[in-house]
Parts: sequence; C-alpha cells; structure tokens
Amino acid sequence: MAGKIIADTLEHSTAGSLSTEYVVNGSAKAWVRYNGTGTAAISDSFNTASIADNGTGDYTFAFSSSMNNSNFACNATSKEVDGSAANNNGTGAMPYSNATGSFRVLNFSPDGNPRDPAIGNTSTMGDLA
Amino acid sequence: MQTPKFKGTHLFDRLCWAKENLEGVQSDYRVVFEDSVDECAKILVPDPNWMACALQGGILPPVWVYHELAKDEAQPDFKKHTRGYLLHNTEPVPAMTEEEAIEYLILKDCPESVWKTYNEGNRLKMVICKKEQLPQTREWRNAWKISDDLSLTDLAA
Repeated sequence: MAGKIIADTLEHSTAGSLSTEYVVNGSAKAWVRYNGTGTAAISDSFNTASIADNGTGDYTFAFSSSMNNSNFACNATSKEVDGSAANNNGTGAMPYSNATGSFRVLNFSPDGNPRDPAIGNTSTMGDLA
Repeated sequence: MQTPKFKGTHLFDRLCWAKENLEGVQSDYRVVFEDSVDECAKILVPDPNWMACALQGGILPPVWVYHELAKDEAQPDFKKHTRGYLLHNTEPVPAMTEEEAIEYLILKDCPESVWKTYNEGNRLKMVICKKEQLPQTREWRNAWKISDDLSLTDLAA
C-alpha cells in the first residue's frame, strides 16, 4: 500500500488534541444500502459478504470481517417506496439477534406490519475480531 | 490489477484496499434454502463488493476460518473472539470463479444444517438458481417454498 501514517494523537492548532483511538473506535465497521423489493439486491456496501432475505421485511446481513463480540451496535433505517411520491411512507427498522458474524433486521411500516424497503440502510459500530 | 501480498494484513485493511481498487460485481446467482419446516424459504444474495474480492483472489480468508470462529462462539462461556488473528494471518484464498465463490458463500453464510444435508431427506433444502428464476414480485413472500417439482432424482440425473 502507498503511504502510511502511524499516530496515537491528532492535534489541532487551536482546538486541542484527540487520541486516534476515538477515530478507530468511532468509525463504522460495516454498512449496506439495499433494495428489498422484487428480488432483493445490494446497491453498495462495505465489509458485507451477503444478505439473506428471510421473508417480508426480514433480512440477515453477514460480515466479511467478523465483529469481536455480539455487543456491537447496528443502526437500520428504511423507506418503503423509492422516490418522492405522496404515499412514500417511511418505515422503521429494528435490528435484533446479533451474532459476531451477522445480524438480523426487521423492517416495518408505520402501521406495524412487516414491509420490504425500496431503500434499506444499515451501519455497524463496534470492535472487530 | 495485481493484489498486494496480504498475508498478515488485517482483513479490514484488505477490504479497504478492495473497496478502493475493485469494481463491485453483481452476481445473478441466488441460493434458496430452507432451514426450518415452519418458515418460508430464505434467499441468500451475494454482496457485489464481496464477489469482487472473491474473483480477484488474495483477499478473503479460507472459509474454514469462519467455521473455527463459529465453533468458538458456540462455547457456553464465549464472551469475545480470541482467535481473530485467523482472519488476518491465514493465507488468503486465490481467485475463484463465480460458481466457486457461491459455494464458498454457502459454506460461510448458510446454516451448517442446510449445506451438510441439503440432498438428504424427502425434499431439497437448498437450490442455487439465477435471480430470473425467482418470483419477480413479493406476493405471498412468507409462503415461498422450494418447489417439490425439483426432486433429488432430477439432481442425480
């Protein structure tokens, strides 16, 4: 690889200094943007090997580089319809059942029913194995 | 593009290199599997960036590494991984064909109970297909099952 900076601290001329541990620990370790309508597909991602379409609104995301333990945090958001139509309901997403190699997300519409998102997003924070 | 010599490089760093240097590859293959008689069929979708790594070679660890980590995680006193170095220090696998990559992904991300005995019992538990062969709408998604028309005899033939 070209270029490498090894540093424990970042220092700003006036705002003070910051340990690079904050950067390492505070960075997302994986993310995915996917489409759950029709035949599910991944638009783009990082550190993701696959998604499993488990049923309506129900998806499992598998990492390439596993997490260190199952106490990582994942955020999930989703949108039922792509575009800006008037009936473009937002949907809620609930991450659950973390394992170190994967996690599962349920997507719901505002009425509480499972929904496949036209746009689904997840990001994962935590420690890598 | 030639993959740098990555043995001993953290897998996350290898994935960073791949993200920066490789174009994602959208595979047409899907893996349909059933891991419970009470649940609908599930569909495994390969990630395009992961597929690019598999086709490129020299980035992904051998699949047995994931199995070793899964064994550790299955221990009742598991708190966190202590053998994460297997992901980073094991010699990466060479370039695969798309079909070999799908086989790797099945071994990695499908339950072992599915791939070990997929062709045993009264009906198939797993099928590799093209995405065009799947229903194009999500109607009755939670009732999808692998068709009984696909018999084990057909596979043997």
